Amino acid sequence: MSTLPQKESRMTTACPGSDSIQGLPGNKGDGLERECSRKPDQKPLKFYGVGDPTAMFCSSSPYLSSRGSIIKWFWDSAEEGYRTYHMDEYDEDKNPSGIINLGTSENKLCFDLLSRRLSQSDMLQVEPSLLQYPDWRGHLFLREEVARFLSFYCRSPAPLKPENVVVLNGSASLFSALAMVLCEAAEAFLIPAPYYGAITQHVYLYGNVRLVYVYLDSEVTGLETRPFQLTVEKLEMALQGANSEGVKVKGLILINPQNPLGDIYSPAELQEYLEFAKRHELHVMVDEVYMLSVFEESVGYRSVLSLERLPDPQRTHVVWATSKDFGISGLRFGTLYTENQDVATAVTSLCRYHGLSGLTQYQMAQLLRDRDWINQVYLPENHARLKAAHTYVSEDLRALGIPFVSRGAGFFIWVDLRKYLPEATFEEEVRLWRRFLENKVLLSFGKAFECKEPGWFRLVFSDKTHRLRLGMQRVRQVLEGQPQVAEDAPPRQNQEP
Amino acid sequence: MGQMFYQESDFENTVISYDLSNRGIDISALYHLSFQDYNTYQGNKYHKDKNTLGYINLGTSENKLCTDLLAERLSQSDMTYIDEDLLQYTDWRGQPFLRKEVARFLTFYCKTPEFLDPENVVILNGHSAVFSALAMVLCDPGEAFLVPTPSYGGFAFSTHLYAKVKLVPVHLESQVTEANGYPFQLTVDKLEQALLGAKIEGKKVRGLVLINPQNPLGDVYSQDSMMEYLEFAKKYNLHVIVDEMYMLSVFDEAITFHSVLSMKSLPDPNKTHVIWGTSKDFCISGFRFGALYTHNREVASAMSSFGYLHSISGIAQYKLRQLLQDREWIDNVYLPSYHFRLQEAHRYVTHKLKALKVPFLNRGSGLYVWINLKQYLDPCTFEEELLLHHRFLDHKLILSPGKAFMCKEPGWFRLIFAARPHLLRSGMHRFQQVLVEQEQEHRVKQLEDAMKEEVSTSQPETPASPVLRKS
Repeated sequence: MSTLPQKESRMTTACPGSDSIQGLPGNKGDGLERECSRKPDQKPLKFYGVGDPTAMFCSSSPYLSSRGSIIKWFWDSAEEGYRTYHMDEYDEDKNPSGIINLGTSENKLCFDLLSRRLSQSDMLQVEPSLLQYPDWRGHLFLREEVARFLSFYCRSPAPLKPENVVVLNGSASLFSALAMVLCEAAEAFLIPAPYYGAITQHVYLYGNVRLVYVYLDSEVTGLETRPFQLTVEKLEMALQGANSEGVKVKGLILINPQNPLGDIYSPAELQEYLEFAKRHELHVMVDEVYMLSVFEESVGYRSVLSLERLPDPQRTHVVWATSKDFGISGLRFGTLYTENQDVATAVTSLCRYHGLSGLTQYQMAQLLRDRDWINQVYLPENHARLKAAHTYVSEDLRALGIPFVSRGAGFFIWVDLRKYLPEATFEEEVRLWRRFLENKVLLSFGKAFECKEPGWFRLVFSDKTHRLRLGMQRVRQVLEGQPQVAEDAPPRQNQEP
Repeated sequence: MGQMFYQESDFENTVISYDLSNRGIDISALYHLSFQDYNTYQGNKYHKDKNTLGYINLGTSENKLCTDLLAERLSQSDMTYIDEDLLQYTDWRGQPFLRKEVARFLTFYCKTPEFLDPENVVILNGHSAVFSALAMVLCDPGEAFLVPTPSYGGFAFSTHLYAKVKLVPVHLESQVTEANGYPFQLTVDKLEQALLGAKIEGKKVRGLVLINPQNPLGDVYSQDSMMEYLEFAKKYNLHVIVDEMYMLSVFDEAITFHSVLSMKSLPDPNKTHVIWGTSKDFCISGFRFGALYTHNREVASAMSSFGYLHSISGIAQYKLRQLLQDREWIDNVYLPSYHFRLQEAHRYVTHKLKALKVPFLNRGSGLYVWINLKQYLDPCTFEEELLLHHRFLDHKLILSPGKAFMCKEPGWFRLIFAARPHLLRSGMHRFQQVLVEQEQEHRVKQLEDAMKEEVSTSQPETPASPVLRKS
């Protein structure tokens, strides 16, 4: 099989195979068929893609090294949306016509609870030892607290051990360190797509590690039970595909609960994926950053640490952080839990570059230790607010006749806006995204999550009602002014003023 | 603060792992062998009441002189403010309010001719992080920085662990000669020699690293010298990274420190990058804060990309801003106490050293003294230096041996004096004990050697009696 240069293998993912466009009207189909006919042999490649973060890079700087120029380009080309947003942020009083951010996955519902808790007197202690160089793995008192915390909330069969815990300034740093110590340069991790796009840079910036996307489909076929379902079959095909291109895969990244889908893996599914990884001697990094953000109890979330028996405990590494579950993404605290001392020790070697202040470590320990507050105040309130916000937005979407995927976890809804794209292309997706931005509402477009199918958007609902209301109004305005592609091609509607 | 005595070849077969990549093994082995002492110390620290048998660390350049003042200041009510903005994702280069304060702070304390621009400031979680990220953006893997040695040992890790950038030492000499006006003098001549040497070896040198005030020597470069070094760099198209971490730790009033940012015109402003942080000057190494100041927007942008991997919590950033903006406290309470305590500690230690007849570099800045223990090494080799270092460890005292600073000459050690008086006293006591022991052993060995010589020269060789060989 011929090996395609990487730029092309990314572009082919924009050409969906025929089975995913079932039910779409003729004129769209024609466009796609024309695209597909240009590349007749692309169909087998739609199951995976090998990422090349530098594919669009073009300019180099005389002052920087080659990699420095690429690194700078990352900063310059960072989401136009977030820059625009930061220059024109909505504020109820000072800037009511500013942009509403329904794009960044942040929990803005419980700042009041967190602010209050973090201001309490036990949080304000300044011990001299906290101001000095620490054990780089993280202060022992914090690692002990993390072990206790995870044992409880993950429902581990046996108590977790502090020596298996490593503390860093955020889960991004964890991915960077793991990429560095598990892989050589240019090696790869498998990741089901759509996925949380920022991981691309986390593993690439220092680690120079790529991602091999395991493309998931919205179309439910065969033995699948839900859209965008991850199966071992897909994992196998992606791994094979990567190998055939000479890309060495060292690990698999699973995000559970999933971002952007809000999906959760059942224990049986987890077990299957872990068995797959074991068969191929792959490390598995399970990112459980939304583990306490499951607001629909019936969903039955299970942490990988709750499994009675891991197929390969030495190659199973769990990432957790307070950013999402406690709504404090600005506090920068992430932990790794692994039984593999070689990996823990290797990650610790890099901890000096990802250290967090002793005072922050102390505050985190105080927070995690306060089970009463967590169980009786924070979690019930947080889940209630998340559920209410989710209900509000999902009802709005239903009223608009917009399909979506959401299972009761996370801060976002994966919204299907395909029918609003005149052509199923990523160019049209971006055009729609820009229309939202021009109407002062920021969403995240599917391509940022490496979604194979154009037209999906992630909509974050974990915000206060007044902002949600305004945001949804603006979303509605754009969509109502947007011609929908329906079978009987209705006449163009007038744009709302 | 790490002690890089080991080269990769020293531990080829000591770490085997089937789970780590080769570079993972390299990173892990290098770091852990080198930081063994530090880790041992962390597990068994001296405490004047609870653990008098613990390790006294006069090896890590950590400032413990004014932790009490900082703890007090950081506990004050203006430090406890919490706001939504502090708890949220923010500008990865550092919160605008902090970058503004750092620009203002450096404008004042570096005595810059013009106001510094907050847009030229990048904030990361520590001086090591700034260094690591700079190495990535200025060099490709395998490229190099020139570093006058002896020099802060941590650079080797910060440039190697993630960035795989090499250091080319510019070896300085203790011996005063025509070419060497004072011990360990850095001259443009030596810089050029080192650069040429690197070129011959096929190493691509991208920059020069200067530490001013210098670590471990305590030197403070004159403005003229600094200008010469900057002009050298410009001539050969090199970046210059000036590490000014000890800028407020000059305790000898007769010495004036000149920040590179105070110069009216830099030879190459687009290639001059300054690092500062609070770890040393404000005794809060556990806080994790480092700042880069550069006129070069491309470098600043590239550094910003590392912002989320080297981020600082919003709450910590707020406290830092409160600290740095409190000029009254800094100028009227903190700095006077700090300098006074530094002077006292320095005086105490140097007094002891003189009494013990240990030669040292008498400088007026930094937290350490560069001492010469050559007379205790026989022969004067790095192996003996390491053995002496271990002897100190056996007595639960940590010093940093010269090899960790890439010093070309064996026998030098760095002794930290920025510790509280009781710790310093106990530390110097152990120091003295070790030297006495070392001297005793040396004398015994000399006597043994002398006796063996006597025996072998006084006894005639006969076929019946065994031949005694000199040991």
